[in-house]
Amino acid sequence: MSSALRHPLPGDAPRASSDVRLSVEQVSYAYAPNPSQAPLFTLEAMSFQAKPGELVAILGPNASGKSTLLKLISGALQPLSGRIFLNGFETHSLAVKTRAQRIALVQQESRLLFPSRAWEFVIQGRHPYGGGLRFESEEDIIIANNALAQVGASELADRWMDKISGGEKQRIILARALAQQPLLLLLDEPTLHLDIGAQVDLLESLRRLAAQNRYTVVVVTHELNLAGEYADQVVLMHRGKCLRVGPPATVLQREILEQVFQAPLSVEMTPSGRPRVTLFTNK
Amino acid sequence: MYYPGFSPVFLFSGFSRHSRQGRFVLQKLEKALRRVRVFCFAALLLGALPLHAQSSTPAPASPAPPAMREVVDEFGRSIRVPQLPTRIVSLAPSLTETLYALGVQDRLVGDTDFCDYPPDAQKKKKVGGPINPNLEAIAALHPDLVLVTKEINRLDTVRALDTLGIPAYATHAQTVDEILSTTQKLADLLGVPETGKSLTADLESRLTALHAKLESLPPSRVLFVVWTRPLISVGKNTFIADALRRADAASIVDATQDWPQTNLEEVVRLQPEYLVFAASHPDSAARDFEALSVLPGWQLLDAVRKHRFAVISDAVNRPAPRIVSAIEDLARQLHPAAFQDSPATEKPASPASAPSNPRGPTPAHMTLEAQPFEMEIACAR
Amino acid sequence: MRPLTLTRLLLRCGILAVILFVVVVVAMKLGAVQVSLYGLGRDLISVLLHRTSALSSDYGMIVLGIRLPRILLAVFVGASLSVAGVSFQALLRNPLADPYVLGVSSGAALGAIVALILESRLDLTPEMAGLITPVGAFLGAALTIAAVYILGRREGQIDSTTLLLGGIITASFLQAVIMFLMTTLSGNNLRGSAFWFMGDLSTPQPRSLLYFLSFGFIIAAGAIYTTASDLNLLLAGEKEAMHLGVDVPRVRIVVYIAASILTGLAVSVSGTIGYVGLLVPHVMRLIFGSDHRMLIPASALGGAIALVIADTLARTVTSPTDLPVGAMTALAGAPLFIYLLRRRIA
Repeated sequence: MSSALRHPLPGDAPRASSDVRLSVEQVSYAYAPNPSQAPLFTLEAMSFQAKPGELVAILGPNASGKSTLLKLISGALQPLSGRIFLNGFETHSLAVKTRAQRIALVQQESRLLFPSRAWEFVIQGRHPYGGGLRFESEEDIIIANNALAQVGASELADRWMDKISGGEKQRIILARALAQQPLLLLLDEPTLHLDIGAQVDLLESLRRLAAQNRYTVVVVTHELNLAGEYADQVVLMHRGKCLRVGPPATVLQREILEQVFQAPLSVEMTPSGRPRVTLFTNK
Repeated sequence: MYYPGFSPVFLFSGFSRHSRQGRFVLQKLEKALRRVRVFCFAALLLGALPLHAQSSTPAPASPAPPAMREVVDEFGRSIRVPQLPTRIVSLAPSLTETLYALGVQDRLVGDTDFCDYPPDAQKKKKVGGPINPNLEAIAALHPDLVLVTKEINRLDTVRALDTLGIPAYATHAQTVDEILSTTQKLADLLGVPETGKSLTADLESRLTALHAKLESLPPSRVLFVVWTRPLISVGKNTFIADALRRADAASIVDATQDWPQTNLEEVVRLQPEYLVFAASHPDSAARDFEALSVLPGWQLLDAVRKHRFAVISDAVNRPAPRIVSAIEDLARQLHPAAFQDSPATEKPASPASAPSNPRGPTPAHMTLEAQPFEMEIACAR
Repeated sequence: MRPLTLTRLLLRCGILAVILFVVVVVAMKLGAVQVSLYGLGRDLISVLLHRTSALSSDYGMIVLGIRLPRILLAVFVGASLSVAGVSFQALLRNPLADPYVLGVSSGAALGAIVALILESRLDLTPEMAGLITPVGAFLGAALTIAAVYILGRREGQIDSTTLLLGGIITASFLQAVIMFLMTTLSGNNLRGSAFWFMGDLSTPQPRSLLYFLSFGFIIAAGAIYTTASDLNLLLAGEKEAMHLGVDVPRVRIVVYIAASILTGLAVSVSGTIGYVGLLVPHVMRLIFGSDHRMLIPASALGGAIALVIADTLARTVTSPTDLPVGAMTALAGAPLFIYLLRRRIA
C-alpha cells in the first residue's frame, strides 16, 4: 500500500522527525455554564509534548477532564491560560479550514440524517482542501481510496453507512480522518462500543498508521491495558489534574492507579516491557 | 475533476487538472454556466413583461374607437368607460339583478356562478365566483366594463383588472338609500337614466308608504340569524341592518363588524321578540328553525318557545332593488296589525309575468312583486 | 466511487430544465381559453422581438398577458420554496422542516394584513396600491426573520434546536395575532386573505415587482449554493463539520438569512402554498441523493415543475372557477407525504 499523497503544507519547516510536533504548555481551562456562577469545571495547568509517530494515551476515570483536554488540543476550545502548539502554530488561532487540514478528530459515533454510502462519507475528509464550491478531483478520489485501504475497509466502499456494523463504521470514520491527511489524529474514547477483538484491531491500526504516516496520535481512553500495551506516552488525569506524564511503565504503577481508579489493582511487567494491569481481589 | 480523456481543459496547457489555478478556472466556469441557465429564465420573464406596458383594452379592433368618458366610481376611483358600455361583466349577484331590473340584460355578456336571479341570469356565460373569478374568462369576453361591489369582491380582482386595462366600476351600498342611489348611478353609467329614475322613484314611494304605516309602532326587537353554529348575525353598519330598520325591526346585536359572532348567552339575556331567517325557500327555513329549537339552550328564548320566527327571501342579502320586497315582507310578518287593510294598498301581483321580459322595467317590477305573493301561498300551505 | 462532477450536474439539471420547459409550454396551452401552440409560438417570438403590434391570434394577449406571467410566477415561487425547504432541512437537521417552520410565513401574512388595513386608510395611487401588500408582507417577513434569529441564539450563535423552537413559538404567536385582527376588524378588505392563506397565484403582479423577485432569487439561491458542500457536512453533525473545516456559524447565518429571504419573497406574492417546500426536496433526494450540490438546483427546478403543474390544475380542473393552488398542492402532497413516510425517508 502506498502512502497517501501529501503536499507540503505551509508552516512545515524542514525538521528532523524526532522534533516535537505537539506541545501543550501550562494549559488550564475553566467552564462556567452561567456567567454569574462560579466556574464548574477546571482543568489545572498541565504540560506535555508529543513527537511525530508517537501514540499518546490520555488516561483517567470519568469526569477527569480527558475530553476537555482533547477539545483544547483540537482547537475547538480556547485554553484559559497556556498555549497549545502544533508544529509551532497555536491550534486555536488557526482558521477552521487550516485546522482541519492538520488535525483530525474521530468521534465515537456519527449520526447521519440521511443515509450515505461509505465512500461519500470518507471523501468528506477532503473538504478542508477545497474552495467554496468545489467538486472532488482525481487526487481526492485516490486519497480517499487509500484511506479506506489503510483501515482495511476497501470492500465496504459502496455499502450504506446505516447498514454496516459498529466496528465497520468505526473504521470508516477513521478512514475519513485519514483522508484529511492530518498531522495530528485525535480519538475520543474510540473503543467504547467495540468488542475486545475490534479494540485490539483498532489500536494495532493506530500504532501502524502512526509509524507509517508519521502521525501523532492522541487517544482518550479509560482502558488501562490498551493504554499500557500500545501507547508510547501516557498522560494520567484525575479530577482535572494531570498526575503523571511519561512512558506507560512509569505511569501505570499500582499506588497511583489505585488512588485514581479507586479499585484494588496489581501491575506486572510483560516480557516486552509493557505494564499489565489486573484486578486484584482479595479472597 | 473530469474523467481522463474527456476533459476540454486538457486543451489549456497552462492549467493542469491538479493545480490550484485549474480548479479555480473550472469553478468560475461552473458559476458562469449556472448564471447562464438562470439568465435564460430571466430573459423569458423579461420578454413576456413588455406586454404589461400595453394599457389598451383587449377588445378586438373595432371600426371606430368608442367615445370614452371619465367617471368616478363609488370607491373614489376615477376610470375611463365608454359612453355607452355594450359588453358588461357583472361580478356580483346583486349587480346582475340590478342590471335586469334596469332592463339592460342584453348587454350583460358574463356573470358569476352565483348569479341566479332572475333565472335568465343563469344562462349567461359564467366567469367563476365573485371572490375568485377567472381573469382569462373575463378577458376572453372582451368586456368594456366590469362591475364589482365592495361587499363581495376582492381588491385584488379590481387591481388585476386595472393591470389588464379593463375598466372596473366598484359600487358600495351600506344603507337602503345607498342601494337606491347606486341603482341610479348605474343607470346613468349604462345610459338608461330615465329607467333608473322611474325604478328608484317607485321603490322610494313604496318605502315611504311602508314608513307611514309603521311609524307609530314600536320597533320589533329581532335577531337576524346568518349562521347558527357558530352564531353569526349582522353588524349595524351593513345594508341588511338598515333593511331591518326600514321594516321597523331593531337588531339586538350592536356591533361594528360586518358579521359579528355572538353567543347564545348574550342572546338569551337580550331576549329578542323574533328570530329572522333569510332563505330562498321558506320550507327549508322552517326546517332549520325546528332543528334549531331542539339544540341545547335555545329553549330559553321566548321567541323559540313561542315559535316567533320570520322568514324572508334571501333578497335581503343582496343590495339590489329586490330588497324592498323583502323589507315589505318582513314588515308584514313582524307587524301584522299595520297591514290589516293590506290587499287594497299593495300593487296587484302578477304571478304569470315572464321573468326575462326584455321590454322594459315594469315586467321586472311585477316579478319582484310575485315573490311575497308566492311566499304567502307557501306559508299558507 | 463516483463523486459528483460538473458534467453530471449540468446534464441532470439540463434534463430537468427541459422538463420544465415542456411543462411550461403545456401550461400555456391549457386554460379557460383555448389557444393553438403554433399561434402562441409566433406571438411569443414577436413579443421577444418587441413587435407587439403583430399579435396574430385573437387570444394571444390573454395568454401572454395573463397566463404567462402567472406561469412564470409559479416557476419563481416553486423554485424559491423548494430551495428554502432544502436549506432549512439541512440547517435544522430535520427532515420535517419546511420553509414556514420558522414563522416567516406568519410574519408575512401579518405584514400583508397590516398593509391591507393601512391601505384602506391611506389614499394611494394604483401602482402604490398594487405594491403595498407584497411590500408589507416582505417587511413582516423580514422582521420575523430578525426576531426568530435573536430568539434562536445560544451563546451568541444560532443553535438548531433553539432556532426551531423559537420559530414555532413565533409562528403560533403571529397566527394568534392574525386571528385576532381578522375577527375584530371589518371584513371587507380582509376577505381576500382567506385565499392568501391557501396560496393564490392568480393576481397579476406589477412588473417592477417581478424584476425584484427574480433578482432576489438569483442572489439568495446563489448564496445558499456557495455553501452546498458545507451543508453536506453539516448533515453529519455540527461538531464534526467544524472539525472538517466548515465555518459553521457563517454557514448557519448565510443559509438562514438567504432561505428566509426566499421564503419571504415567495410568500409575499403568493400567500402560503404548502407542501412544495417540504416534499420536493425529499423527492429530489430520492432521485439524486443527498449531495446538496446537486440537490439545490434539482429542487429549484423540481419545485418549479411541481408548482406549474399544480397551478395549471388549479385553474383548469374546475374552470372557470379558480381553485386556490395551495389546495391543489395539499391534495397531491398529502398522499405523497404518506408514501414517503412509509418508505422511511421523511
